[in-house]
Amino acid sequence: MNHNLPINQIAAETANQNAVISVSISFILAMLPHFLHLPLWVSGLVLFTLIWRIAQTYDVVKAFPKWLLIIMVIIGGISVFAQFWTVVGRDPGLALLTVMTAFKFLETRTHRDILILIFLCYFLLTTHFLFGQSIAIALYMIAILIVITSTLITINQRDDSIPVLTRFKVASKLLGLSIPLMIILFILVPRIPGPLWGLSGEQRGGITGLSESMTPGSISNLITNNEVAFRVQFEGEIPPQEKLYWRGPVMAKFDGRSWSRTESGITLRRELKILPNPTRYTVTLEPHGKPWLFGLDIPALIPQSAILTDEYQLLSKKPVNDLQRYSMSSQLNYQLAPDENLEYLMISSEYPEQRNPQTLALGKQWARELTDGVDIANKALQMFRNQEYIYTLQPPLLGQHSSDDFLFQTRRGFCEHYASSFTLLMRAAGIPARVVTGYQGGELNEVGNYLIVRQSDAHAWAEIWLEGKGWIRVDPTAAVSPDRIENGLDQALSDDLSSFKFSARSPLLRSLLFKWDSLKYNWNDLILNYDHRKQARFLRDLDLGIQSWGDMVIALVIALASITSGYWLFSWYRERPLSPPEYEKIMNQLLKKLKRAGFTRKPSEHVYEFLQRMQTEKQYSDSHLEQIFNAYSRIKYANGYQKQNILDRFRKMVSEWVPVKLPK
Amino acid sequence: MTILSFVQRRMDHWIALRNPETSGQIKLQNRRLYILPTRFGYIYALMQIVLLLAAINYQNSMTYVLTFLLTSLGIISLWQTHKNLLGLSIELKTPSPVYQGEELIFEFVAHNLNQSNRYAVGLQYTNAPPVYSSLSGEQTTTIKLPLPTIKRGLYKPAGIIIFTRYPTGLFHAWGWLKYDVPVLIYPKPIYDSPLKDLLINQQSGNKNINTADGDDFAGLRGHKKGESLRHISWKAYAQGRGMLTKTFQGYASPSLWIDWFQMTATSHEGKLSQMIALVIQAHQEGRKYGVKLPGIDLPQSSGPAHKADCLQQISVFNQSDLNSTFLINGIEE
Repeated sequence: MNHNLPINQIAAETANQNAVISVSISFILAMLPHFLHLPLWVSGLVLFTLIWRIAQTYDVVKAFPKWLLIIMVIIGGISVFAQFWTVVGRDPGLALLTVMTAFKFLETRTHRDILILIFLCYFLLTTHFLFGQSIAIALYMIAILIVITSTLITINQRDDSIPVLTRFKVASKLLGLSIPLMIILFILVPRIPGPLWGLSGEQRGGITGLSESMTPGSISNLITNNEVAFRVQFEGEIPPQEKLYWRGPVMAKFDGRSWSRTESGITLRRELKILPNPTRYTVTLEPHGKPWLFGLDIPALIPQSAILTDEYQLLSKKPVNDLQRYSMSSQLNYQLAPDENLEYLMISSEYPEQRNPQTLALGKQWARELTDGVDIANKALQMFRNQEYIYTLQPPLLGQHSSDDFLFQTRRGFCEHYASSFTLLMRAAGIPARVVTGYQGGELNEVGNYLIVRQSDAHAWAEIWLEGKGWIRVDPTAAVSPDRIENGLDQALSDDLSSFKFSARSPLLRSLLFKWDSLKYNWNDLILNYDHRKQARFLRDLDLGIQSWGDMVIALVIALASITSGYWLFSWYRERPLSPPEYEKIMNQLLKKLKRAGFTRKPSEHVYEFLQRMQTEKQYSDSHLEQIFNAYSRIKYANGYQKQNILDRFRKMVSEWVPVKLPK
Repeated sequence: MTILSFVQRRMDHWIALRNPETSGQIKLQNRRLYILPTRFGYIYALMQIVLLLAAINYQNSMTYVLTFLLTSLGIISLWQTHKNLLGLSIELKTPSPVYQGEELIFEFVAHNLNQSNRYAVGLQYTNAPPVYSSLSGEQTTTIKLPLPTIKRGLYKPAGIIIFTRYPTGLFHAWGWLKYDVPVLIYPKPIYDSPLKDLLINQQSGNKNINTADGDDFAGLRGHKKGESLRHISWKAYAQGRGMLTKTFQGYASPSLWIDWFQMTATSHEGKLSQMIALVIQAHQEGRKYGVKLPGIDLPQSSGPAHKADCLQQISVFNQSDLNSTFLINGIEE
């Protein structure tokens, strides 16, 4: 008995043109979204190798010699290293994988090579999810998965006459059949809390959000971005717009132009005075590559995975590189650190003496005129309100003394200009003050009843510290443009800026947009956030008694077995051999009779062949049998003979037939 | 005996029990079908482990989704690949004998009774290149598997595998096709005219007159036991005249004995080849001839049945592995 399966031989077959082109298309489609973030030379290399390899199948160019390929692979590896100074991590890893796949293309010759390329395509497809997990990407992935799988089928079908569309159909069918199994696996495979190995706080580029520091213009850049920053589901009433200050990075250090975070700010979490009736909500934060989390002013009960700094800024333990969901509560009426330590108050009062002399002089003048901090602050707000200050997205460029230029010359600015100048004024007046960045407001999704906060809601405001009162939020932008706070950005800006808010659209479009965003929210909630905690909760709510890992594995096996046996039964029923037509049944009776008489028809034998064999081998001739066979052929092959009366006559002939006696 | 070879022998025994030789159709039911992952199936599994680790490490839900989708695709492939062979009926037509060195054509008749098409169904004899076919639903397809022959004799075909990897190539499903169908390979004929003339001159025997063979009807005579039934006059029998054999006037040419000991070739195989050539020539010339092999005498006669008989006896002469499995390319089962 031979156990050597002909595997090696099959793999070594030379791949045909169809296979090469098919796998090239799969590769380019699997790569396409990556072209946006790969180094340009890598994308170029991919295109070059693809074109070269396809040209090779048409005998336009020759295959690369092996030694040259080896040299190219080495150069490729070194180039990737030179680009990133490492080969580990997401971006360099992807670049290396891409370069190696591209070179693999050049040496593709056999079925084995094609199959390896297909696997690399499957692999590349997965890497997209490290860059984003939106519904659009998922749909694209499914489409490409069909293309890659149909390539796999092309290679294994060994029949070039089958049209491409049929292969797509087969691939879609296979994947369609896989989806229920996938859902079962997704729900029931026990989830392990990650990560398994350190991700070394790897920063991922290309993600927008608030940054570490604030210079004039840094927030207005975000304003033109309609990406969702986070979505919030409140447990009770949604607080009014003017209360929705989403606290982000707090900045107390000022170098004359830009604000940044102090190191001393990142210390221990503080004791909070918990007042009754906190506002409870759940935030689903889009990845932004920075460690900050956002909560309403002022965070009370914070999520377990977070820390709260001295400045009441909420920080995640690692950069938010993936969608993050956390529940917390905030105190909207609060008293913030009336006992702030002296050292920090000193830091919060510092400013460089050489810069912005006019601003400093004004602040100092106010300090001489007024004693109460509240009055000083109001003085500044009055100035913004009463003088010709304009709230605009396109402020003029500012010089070295940015605050002076803004306050006394241009008088046109965005929230960061107002917050920055106001804070400096306060410091000059001897009041400890700091800049807080974050988001303000949000749009209610009427469909899902949750709040959408976009990058365009980015905002900056100030906090001043007053004896006995602690830190008090002052939003100078509200003085200039109350609309910004009460109605949102669109109402406030006179600039020609198309609105991001869905509510600004026609009712039909608005409801569609809200539904789409709701879908995204549920996608985030149900799929992207499905981890070990959510799994445990989901299975508990399912109430099927699935509690331990053992239960999950048993349930998994049972579910998979029932689905596959369901498939098996269905296909067995649908593809079962048809019951033979009536004339075949009659014919079978005759064949049985003949068998008893000693004549056995071979399965593939035509009736006339059979008759002839009977005559030649056994010298049997029978005119009746010949007539019956003639009738059978007519009924089977000629039109119009399958009528009931003809069939009845045929049946009669068969039933009356007896074998002719052979002479002994 | 090592444990491995013991296991191997038990396996062989088990497989042989489940795959009895068949003379008619082999229906590929569950007990005759086997399925294992291919090397690519293993690579595919490995890839999924890597993807799963990535999903866990990055806590990336969509990576989980894709990994599980690929796992499910593997499970579905297992079933589909198995299904691609399941229920197929395969029949081997008795191949016409060929001369050693010629190509032997195995003609399989595959009946796809199901309504679904089957693709990339391969037939392969041990390590020879496979032949692939697509079998449409409810159709009968003839598949020809040519094989080079290197040794004379009578064999039973074994080691023929029907297999498939459709649709994804991750699994290899196969069944052994063992048929109780004779495969006859004649020795390669070596023509030697001087030898033939010598034999004829030596043995120029009596001129035959009335035999059952010949061209012109000559009359009836009493039937002798052992004579072909083909020449019995059924008309006479029906008239109640008893069993009578029709005789024909043949144009008598000298008959001859093709005798092993008179062959000029030195090797045994050479002698057999010369004998084969002589049988073919004698038959063509319409002579009566007999064959004498050590220990075997085939009486003088003529006709296609006699020729076939002679050729077979010469082919299997001294075949040590008579009725053993088929040999090809020097690979012995």
